[in-house]
Amino acid sequence: MDEQKNNDLAAEQLIQNAQHAQEETAAEATTAVRTDAVEQTEADGKIFKKYKIKDIVFLAIITACTLVTSAFMPLLVNVPCYGIIQMGLGLQFSLFPVIGMMKVRKPGALLFQSAFMGIFLVFMFPPMAFIVVCGLIAELLTLLIFRGYKSDWACVFAGTLYMPMTLPFMYLYYNVMYTVDGTEKAAVSMYIGGNASAGVIAGIVIAVIAICFVGSLLGMVISRELRKAGVLKN
Amino acid sequence: MAFFKPKYKLFPLVNVIAAVAIIIFGLVMAKHVECSYFLIALFVWLCIFGCARSCVRMLAAFIIVGGIFAGITYAASGSAMSALAMANRFGAVFSGMAVASACESVSTVRALSQVHTPRSITLGMLITTSFMPLLKTEIRRVREAMKTRGAGGMLNPKIFYRAFLVPLVMRLVNISDTLSLSVETRGFALGKVKYSVYKPERVAITDILFLIGLIIGMVLTVIL
Repeated sequence: MDEQKNNDLAAEQLIQNAQHAQEETAAEATTAVRTDAVEQTEADGKIFKKYKIKDIVFLAIITACTLVTSAFMPLLVNVPCYGIIQMGLGLQFSLFPVIGMMKVRKPGALLFQSAFMGIFLVFMFPPMAFIVVCGLIAELLTLLIFRGYKSDWACVFAGTLYMPMTLPFMYLYYNVMYTVDGTEKAAVSMYIGGNASAGVIAGIVIAVIAICFVGSLLGMVISRELRKAGVLKN
Repeated sequence: MAFFKPKYKLFPLVNVIAAVAIIIFGLVMAKHVECSYFLIALFVWLCIFGCARSCVRMLAAFIIVGGIFAGITYAASGSAMSALAMANRFGAVFSGMAVASACESVSTVRALSQVHTPRSITLGMLITTSFMPLLKTEIRRVREAMKTRGAGGMLNPKIFYRAFLVPLVMRLVNISDTLSLSVETRGFALGKVKYSVYKPERVAITDILFLIGLIIGMVLTVIL
């Protein structure tokens, strides 16, 4: 009888231990989940977030895509028409960066893409390396207005501003460096020089902004569709 | 002794600096006849210093593209000088590209790592350069899939969006996920993690000779 009692006691204690351990594990798991949630909320609240390898890889791949689709740029740069580069490349330079920003919703996403692009653009056409500065300005404006890339429209805003910002740099380049034989200022005098009206300049700028806006919208639509399909995760 | 050891490839950062200098100088000086002489001499100089293959490749592209644009300029302006300036401009761009493409991207990344360039930049640069050929294959595959599905031409915006753009971006996202895992398993990390550069790149006397020759060429072009 004593042996039976001892066995029952031992079994009871074992059950109690197991239950206690289970409760402890459950409590720990709940605490861990809560801590993760708190950390996630804190991270969500922060404007500046840490970059991971997967972010850099995606931004690099999307930059490669932008560059491959813009491979005809060395041909465009020699066409004596102000704004031709921006009009030719505006769509690609807004569509792909917007996809990049909508996947990697962290400040600096556009700057990283600009830096990767700038490294290659400098060999195609050195003045276009100023795209890094444009990326920085667009990024700062977006952070000031939208405080990050949480909103899809923040990405569209940055994507639309990005390429048109190179126009002033191109204006400088055409005025200082680009002349055909030194006696006239080909590209600039054709469109912006003494004979050109302010309307022509405004027309070029509006056309570039419109192209970039369409590209950005397209990028946003594709990203939304992919996110709905579960492919594009932040 | 490695400094005096002859080698057939330039130090990657020398390539980068030289390429940028050549393009900028060529674009500034394009309107002068002396620029053409400079570009011819540069072609020979680059061939001597191990860039012959990329130079020949770029020469073919230059003859076609530069010829077309110079012809158009001549037809539009009627001035041989304008056509020459246009050809010079293309010559400078293609020469710069020849110098830049003469070094492998891995060597450039290695050299940049040696000078403590942020890991995120070097990694991104490496992926961007190595991904470009792969991207062409992906585009071809998506187009083949379009043909198999019987989707019409790419000129139709709806078909272009639905059958080309969306699958391409989807494929890019999938590749990026796989590649990031692969990169992590190969020991790449961001932040202040210490890393070692195996097979470091070194500056040799040939690099200095190359740069001196280039500078002399530029100075002579301006003076003469």
